Amino acid sequence: MAENKQREFSELIEPHISSLYSTALRMTRNQNDAEDLVQDTLYKAYKALAQYQRNTNFRAWIFRILVNTFITAYRKAVKQPQKVSYDDLEEFFLYKRLDETVSIQETSKEEFLESMFDDDVKEALEALPYQFRLVVLLCDVEGFSYNEIANIIDAPLGTVMSRLYRGRKLLQRQLWDYAKKRGYINDDFKAKV
Amino acid sequence: MTLKQKSEKYDCADIERLVQKYIDSGLNDHEKQLFEEHLEYCLPCDKKVSFELKLKSIIRHKMSHEVPPENLKNKISNLLEHLE
Ligand SMILES: [Zn+2]
Repeated sequence: MAENKQREFSELIEPHISSLYSTALRMTRNQNDAEDLVQDTLYKAYKALAQYQRNTNFRAWIFRILVNTFITAYRKAVKQPQKVSYDDLEEFFLYKRLDETVSIQETSKEEFLESMFDDDVKEALEALPYQFRLVVLLCDVEGFSYNEIANIIDAPLGTVMSRLYRGRKLLQRQLWDYAKKRGYINDDFKAKV
Repeated sequence: MTLKQKSEKYDCADIERLVQKYIDSGLNDHEKQLFEEHLEYCLPCDKKVSFELKLKSIIRHKMSHEVPPENLKNKISNLLEHLE
């Protein structure tokens, strides 16, 4: 009995370990905490397995447990970024900044995006307040739909959308700040390739 | 929304309002059609929207999944063995 349940559980979780770990790492910003968070999540999921309805969306189900565990046990320990300003968060923020400063060709705007380092993108994302970081991760990285995210974070659809849209704009502002700091945008305001 | 549907045309402000939903494939067929019609004749909007699509794919690409450390794999197999 127990052995069957274990085998079934292990097969269910196997395909999701790396995305659970990646999300945990981006949320806790710390490898040890991320490992513990995944472990706690799996433990809770196993205990609650009877509540999981077979052939429904397991991936969304287990992410819901991850998010819940993060919020109840880890959120307080995670240092929130310094005060974030929500002013000047216009649509197409990054595009417009590149456009204003630059006489570069259109292709260069996209080359600029390619030229960013993985770590810069990670740091920019990790600098967002966790509510925003979470929905951006769930949508843009994990590919969940708005409805799935609403279910995972237990919030209305409207909240999901407003956090996602705002989160993306915050991220664009953060990327722009990194670009200036790191000198991707040099004195001629040309993207370094 | 009903007003928009009567005029059957999106302007640049509509594109700005709906771009994020568009890049998430969240518009209904009618909205999507009007959105894309605008992009066909408005180059500035078309460029901005492609930039947003590119950025979304780059974020996904650059944030691609971390390989779980050996340590975690050990912890998990250990956990699995002790589950009842
Ligand atoms: Zn336009």
